[in-house]
Amino acid sequence: MDTYSEKWSGEESLAIIQSMIKRARNEFGENGHLYLIWGYVVLICSVVQFVLLRFFRYENHSLVWMFTWVALIYQIIYLTKKARKRKVKTYTADTIQQIWMVFAVLMIMICFILGFQLKGESVRLYAPVILCLYGMPTFLTGRILQFKPLILGGIICWLLSVLSLFLSNDFQILMYGVAVIAAWIIPGYMLKKKFNSIADD
Amino acid sequence: MTDFKDLDPVLHSQLRLAVISLLISVKDADFTYLKEKTDATAGNLSVQLQKLKEAGYIEIEKSFRDNYPLTNCRITKQGIKAFELYVNNLQSYLTIKKPSR
Repeated sequence: MDTYSEKWSGEESLAIIQSMIKRARNEFGENGHLYLIWGYVVLICSVVQFVLLRFFRYENHSLVWMFTWVALIYQIIYLTKKARKRKVKTYTADTIQQIWMVFAVLMIMICFILGFQLKGESVRLYAPVILCLYGMPTFLTGRILQFKPLILGGIICWLLSVLSLFLSNDFQILMYGVAVIAAWIIPGYMLKKKFNSIADD
Repeated sequence: MTDFKDLDPVLHSQLRLAVISLLISVKDADFTYLKEKTDATAGNLSVQLQKLKEAGYIEIEKSFRDNYPLTNCRITKQGIKAFELYVNNLQSYLTIKKPSR
């Protein structure tokens, strides 16, 4: 760019604009890391709770979900470090971040509302509602990144939400695990692969 | 009728146009990113960023990250308008130019 001449044509202007916009659009910042972390955390919690409930009839089976706090703390540290290294913020990344924030707020609010309003009766509602919520950010992120595995993952969450209405409590819990395999773990590995292949280019 | 000379002189510079084209596509970008994408030298880029700032087309935020100075840039509303006008003028200039070829 420093080999710049004063006399240049309109076509050259257009070529600069096109090339710079293309370079900025090629910023693919999603490496799938957090999808894998959360995917495995939810999968482990779901399977452990299922086993505790079905085979051991353990009363405090839902305590296993406290493990998600560890993932949350890890996420905060990871994102802070990532933000420090960040050279550019795209509108895409910003929109996706907002979507996941809305998801987190909705998760907390809906779980609180269900628990507060319905008390013990709400148990059977958690899985269908949470699976419905899982689908929303996954589907939207897939649409924004034009990444089909996430779109499909979102749809699978919604289908599992409906299916869970017809399942017993313990199998409802297992559906969280199935959902995150389809929505976060498999797309997470594919995002990682895509990110690494772009970085290698 | 748009003449080539009617194009905004602030944007009608290869490096400044490249910077604005990058900044219109992202929310914000730091100096290193702009330098990498435009292949410019640090000195030249600094000068051109200053000119864009003086024209009110970009905002420059200076801070420190891990004891290193950090320069973050983002396009302003005025910059977006100027870029849109530049592209429109460029389009009409190219349309007028085409038949005479």
